[in-house]
Amino acid sequence: MFFKNIKSRFNEIKEMDTKDRNRFIKETLINNSLLIFMLIAIIYIQIQRPQFLSRESIINIVSLSASAMPLALGVAGAIILTGTDLSAGRIVGLTACISASLLQAVDYSNKMFPDLPAIPIIIVFLLVIALGALIGFVNGFCVSKFSLHPFIVTLATQLMVYGVILMYLMNGDNNGQSISGLSSGFTELTKGSLFKIGGTPVPNYVLMAIVLTGVMWVVWNKTAFGKNMFAVGSNPEAANVSGVNVALTITLVFTLAGALYAFSGFIEAARIGSNSANTGLNYELDAIAACVIGGVSFVGGIGKIRGVVLGVVLLKLIFVGLNFLSVSVNMIYIIKGLIILVACAIDMRKYLVRK
Amino acid sequence: MNDVILEMKNINKEFPGVKALDNVSFSVKKGSVHALMGENGAGKSTLMKCLFGIYSKDSGEIILDGQTVEFKDSKHALEAGVAMVHQELNQALKQNVMDNIWLGRYPKIGGIFTSEKKMLHDTKEIFEQMGVDVDPKRIMSTMSVSQRQMVEIAKAVSYNSKIIVFDEPTSSLTDKEVEHLFKIINMLRDQGVGIVYISHKMDEILRISDEVTIMRDGQYIATKDAKDLTMNEIIRLMVGRELTNLYPEKTNTPGEMVLDVKNLTGMYSHIEDVSFQVHRGEILGIAGLDGSGRTEVLETVFGIATKKSGEIILDGKVIKNNSSLESIKNGFALATEERRATGIFGILSVLENTVISNLKKYKKMGLLNDHEMRKDTEWSIDSMRIKTPSADTQIRSLSGGNQQKVILGRWLLTDPEVLLLDEPTRGIDVGAKYEIYQLIIDLAAKGKSVVMVSSEMPELLGVCDRIMVMSNGRVAGSLPVKQASQEKIMELAAKYL
Amino acid sequence: MIKRLAKMLFVALMAVSLVACGGGDSGSGGDGEASVHVFYYDYGDTYISTVRTALDKELDGMDVSYTDYDAAGKQQTQTEQVQTALSSGATMLVVNIVETGSDDAAMTIINAAKEKDVPVVFFNREVSNEVVNSYEKCSFVGTDAKEAGIMQGEMIGDELVANFDTYDLNKDGKISYAMFKGQEGNNEAIYRTQYAVEDADKKLEAAGKAKLEYYDSANSDKYQVDQDGTWSAKAAQDYLATALGKYNDGNNNMIELVICNNDGMAEGAISALQTAGYNKKGGDKTIPVYGVDATKAAVDLIGQGVMAGTIKQDAEGMAKVIALAVKNDVAGDDTFKGIDDSGVEGVKVDDGVAKARIPYQIYTGE
Repeated sequence: MFFKNIKSRFNEIKEMDTKDRNRFIKETLINNSLLIFMLIAIIYIQIQRPQFLSRESIINIVSLSASAMPLALGVAGAIILTGTDLSAGRIVGLTACISASLLQAVDYSNKMFPDLPAIPIIIVFLLVIALGALIGFVNGFCVSKFSLHPFIVTLATQLMVYGVILMYLMNGDNNGQSISGLSSGFTELTKGSLFKIGGTPVPNYVLMAIVLTGVMWVVWNKTAFGKNMFAVGSNPEAANVSGVNVALTITLVFTLAGALYAFSGFIEAARIGSNSANTGLNYELDAIAACVIGGVSFVGGIGKIRGVVLGVVLLKLIFVGLNFLSVSVNMIYIIKGLIILVACAIDMRKYLVRK
Repeated sequence: MNDVILEMKNINKEFPGVKALDNVSFSVKKGSVHALMGENGAGKSTLMKCLFGIYSKDSGEIILDGQTVEFKDSKHALEAGVAMVHQELNQALKQNVMDNIWLGRYPKIGGIFTSEKKMLHDTKEIFEQMGVDVDPKRIMSTMSVSQRQMVEIAKAVSYNSKIIVFDEPTSSLTDKEVEHLFKIINMLRDQGVGIVYISHKMDEILRISDEVTIMRDGQYIATKDAKDLTMNEIIRLMVGRELTNLYPEKTNTPGEMVLDVKNLTGMYSHIEDVSFQVHRGEILGIAGLDGSGRTEVLETVFGIATKKSGEIILDGKVIKNNSSLESIKNGFALATEERRATGIFGILSVLENTVISNLKKYKKMGLLNDHEMRKDTEWSIDSMRIKTPSADTQIRSLSGGNQQKVILGRWLLTDPEVLLLDEPTRGIDVGAKYEIYQLIIDLAAKGKSVVMVSSEMPELLGVCDRIMVMSNGRVAGSLPVKQASQEKIMELAAKYL
Repeated sequence: MIKRLAKMLFVALMAVSLVACGGGDSGSGGDGEASVHVFYYDYGDTYISTVRTALDKELDGMDVSYTDYDAAGKQQTQTEQVQTALSSGATMLVVNIVETGSDDAAMTIINAAKEKDVPVVFFNREVSNEVVNSYEKCSFVGTDAKEAGIMQGEMIGDELVANFDTYDLNKDGKISYAMFKGQEGNNEAIYRTQYAVEDADKKLEAAGKAKLEYYDSANSDKYQVDQDGTWSAKAAQDYLATALGKYNDGNNNMIELVICNNDGMAEGAISALQTAGYNKKGGDKTIPVYGVDATKAAVDLIGQGVMAGTIKQDAEGMAKVIALAVKNDVAGDDTFKGIDDSGVEGVKVDDGVAKARIPYQIYTGE
C-alpha cells in the first residue's frame, strides 16, 4: 500500500512540468519540514556525539517520551475542541502525591499515614484515575454547561487543585514534606522492566504508554465519541444541528483528559520517586507545546495521534540532544520557543485556504 | 461613454491537473454593468481572483484605464480603484460602520490618533451620496445583511473605485432590498463606474446589466448585449445544452397527514401561533420576507430554538422535540440555511460529514465499522451524483451544490420522516439546483414529507405542493400551489407588517 | 433552573466551609493581643513547609494571634499581602521574602512597616545588612547561605579522600561528578553550586588527589539547572537519566559522584540511577549522591545506604529563634535577647547587624 502510494506519487511527479514539479517539491518539503528537521537534528547530533544513538540513549529518549505521552494525549483532546487545559500539570501533581502516599512501603519510617496497611496497587490506580476523571468532569461540565472558555475554567480548577495538593501534603505526619519511600511493588510495576533490549532494561511505563497510545488511537478514530469530538471541534453549531450531543461530548473529552493526567500522575509518582507540591508544575505547557508541534491545531477539529506522538518525541529529542551537545539552558529556552513558533506557522499553512 | 476601462486579455491559469482559465478575455466599459455568468466551476471566481492578485495568472494581460497592471493583493487593487463586494461579507462585526469603512486607513491626527470626527463626516457624505440611511456609529453585527452590504459598497465608493465587482450580491437579500441595491448600482453606473456583476439569477441579470459575458469550464463562451438575450439563451450558453425545464417533473402525490403543528410560539423568537400540517409525500413551501420567522419555525420544530408553547404531533402522537437529538430520534432532519456556519464541518472529510448524524448505526462493540461507513458514503455520493474526488476529500473544497448534497445525504442516512430544508439551493448554480429539486421531489415521491423554506418564489412555485406564507412571525395564509402566484404570495407576506 | 442554582450554591458553600475547617492557619486569640502575620514565599517548598509547621506550633504556644500567607513564589503577591496585613492592623511581620536578587522588595516592606511602627523579622531567604540596619525594628533569622555549600563540599571531600579508589570507578585518578542546581539567580543555589565543589577540591588537593572533574567537558557552566526554577526531583531525574545514556559503566566513563542543591533533586537523581540499575538497596553498585536539607525522605535514603549524605537545615531551630524574636519584639525587648538560652545549639548573631544564624549540620546517617 505504502509503496504503491510512493510509486503513483512518483509517476505524478514525473508527469508534471518543471514549474509544477518545483512547487510540488517545495510544498512537500515544507509540509514535512518537521520530520526533515528532526532527521537533520538527529544526524547532526549523532556526528557530534556518537553516543546519541547508542542503545541506552535511545531507550532513554523513548522512556522520557513515554512519560510525557498520556498527558499530551489528554491535552490534545481539549485542543481539538479549540480549547486548552491548564489544569493538567496540577492534576498530575495531585494524583502523583495521592498515589505515592497510598503506596509507600509499609516499613518506611516517614509514612504519611503511618498505620496504612499495604493497599493493592490496582485499587490505588483506579482511585486516582477516578479522581482525575472527576476533576476533568468538573472542567468539562463547566465548559459545556456554562459556555465558559476552557482557558478560564481550567485556570480556576488548576488553582483549586493546587490548594488541595498543599492541604493534602499537610496530612498526617507529613508537614508538607515530599512523599517518597514507595513500595517496591509499585516502583517495580512502573519502573521495572519485563524485557531488556541488548542488556538495557525498558521500563514498564513505556509499554503502558504504547498501549495507551494505541487505545487512544482507537478512541479517536474508531468510535462515535471520537468522530463527535472532531465534529464539535470543527463546527459546534453544525454538530448540534446534526444531533451530536455537544455538551456531553465536551464533558467526556475533558473527563477522559483528566483520567489521562491521572495516569501520568500515577506513573510520575514512581518514576520521579519524590512527590511534592511542585510535582507536575508546568507539565501542561510541554504537553500543549508537543501537541501544537505535532499539528493539533487550535483552529479546532484538527489533530492526529501520530502528530501528538511526533510532537512529544521531538520535544524530548531536543531536550536530550541539546543536553548531549552541552548547550546552555538559556539557548534551550530560545530553541524550544523557536521550534514551537516555526512548527505552528508551517502547520497553519496547511489549513489556510490556498491562494 | 463607451470607453473600455478594464480589459483582461488572454488570461490563462492552470492548477495541478486542471486548466482553470483557458485564454479568457473580458472587458468592462465605463459606466456600464457587465454581468459575468457561468455555472460554479466555470471560472468566474478564478478570473476575478486573477484580477485581484489573489491568484497569480500564468499568462495574459490586465489593462486598467490604458495601463497594464498586476495587483499584488486586493488591498493593492482597491487602492488602484478596483473593488469587490463579496458574497460573504468579510467585516469586523464587533466594530461600527465607519470603522469598517476606514479600516486600515483611518484618518489620523498627528500620525497617531484617529480622527473620529473626520471619519464620521466622510462617512455621512458618502451615505448621503448613495442615499443610504445608516447610522455610521452603529455596530455591524446589529445590522441586516443588506445594510452591511451597503457599508461594503460605501467602502468601495470611498476609494473612488473605477471598477466594482459584485459577487452574488442578492443571495441573502429580500426583494425590497434588491430593489434598493439596484438603485445604487444604477447610480454608480451613471457616475461612470464600471460594474462587474456576478450572479446566478437570470431575471436580475437581464434587468440590471448592459452586457453579459458567459463562461463555461474555464473557457470564454460569448459576450452579448443583455437586450438581445433571453433566459433560455443564457442557460443554453451556460450549460452548453438545452435545459428545457428549470424544474423537474413532479412525481410525488401527497397522502395522509403526518405532521400537525399547533399554535407554535417561540420563547426567544417572535413566531407566534404558527400552525400547519404536512402530509406524507408532500412538499410544503414556506415563503415570506427575511425576518418573517420562516427559519425560526423550522428551528423551533427541530428543537434547536426553544418553544414557549404549542404542540407538535407526529403520526398522531404528541412529541416534544426539545433538542436536536430528540428530533432526530423522532424522525426529523434539518438542513440549515447557513451552510458554512451550521451545516458542514469544513475541515472534515466528505465521509465524516456524511455519517456524523448516524454514528449509532455503525457501532459494533463500541467501535465504528469503517467498511459500513464507507459503503453508505459511497451510496450517498453515487445516488446524489456528488462530484468529489473521493470520500476522504475535505468537504470545503467542494462546490456549494455538492456540499448541500452531502448534507442531504447525511440526513437521508438517518431515514427521516420529515425533512426540514432551509434555503436548500442558496448559492448553488442552475444545473446543480435542478438536481437538488429532483432529489427533493424524489424523496417526497418515496413518502417523505418535506418542509422547505426559500426566498426564491419561482422555486417554491416550481417544486412545492402547497405554500405557506409567513408575515412578521405569524402565518399569513396557505395556498395550494395551483392557486398561488408571486403576487398573491407577496400580498400575504405583507399582511401583518 | 432555580433548583439547580440552589444546588450549586449549596455545593459552593460546602466547599468554602470545608476549606475553612481544613485551613486552620489562624491561631486563636482575644482582643488586644499581638497580631502576628507570617509571610511564606512558597507553600510548595518542602523545607519551608517544615519551618511553617514548626513555627505554627511555636506560635500556638504563645499569647498571640497569627495568620499565615503564601506568596506562591511571587514577590508582587507578597508585597500586596503585606500591605493588606498592615492596613488590617498587623502589629508584627514575619517575612520569608521572595525576591533575594535585590533589596527593593525588602525595602518596600520595611518602609511600609516603618510608617506603622511595626517590627519586621525576615527569615530563611536572606536580606542584606543595609536592609536590616535601615530600621531599628528589623532583624533577620536564617542561616549562612555559604555554609551549606561549604559543609557539603567538606563532607564530600572527606568521604572521597577516605575511599578514593572505591569511588574512582574507571581508575583514571579523577572523580567525575554531576551537579544539579535548583534555580538560576538564587543566592543559595549559586553558593551551594560553587562551594560544594570548591571545598571538596580543597580537601582533595590537601590529600594530594586530583580535583573533581565535571562529567561533561563541553559544558562550561559545570552544572545543570531546573528550568522551572523549582529545585525539582523531576529535573534531576530527567537530566541524569539522559546523561546516563552517554556516561555509564559500559563506556567506562560513569559519573562517579552526584551533587545536588537540595534533597528533592537528590531523590530524583537516585530514582534515575535506580532505573539504570545503580543505587539499589543492598546493591553493589552505588554512586554517592549528596543533597541539602535533610528531609525525612533523604534521611531514610541515607539509612538505606543509597544516598551518601546531606546537610541538615534545622527547621525547628529556625522556628524557635523566630518565635523568640517575635516574643521580644512584641514585648519591646531586644530582638535576640536570651538567644543563647533558646536551646538552639550553635546559633550566632552577626556583629553590627541584627542577624541570627542557625548552624547547618552534616548528616551522613545515624
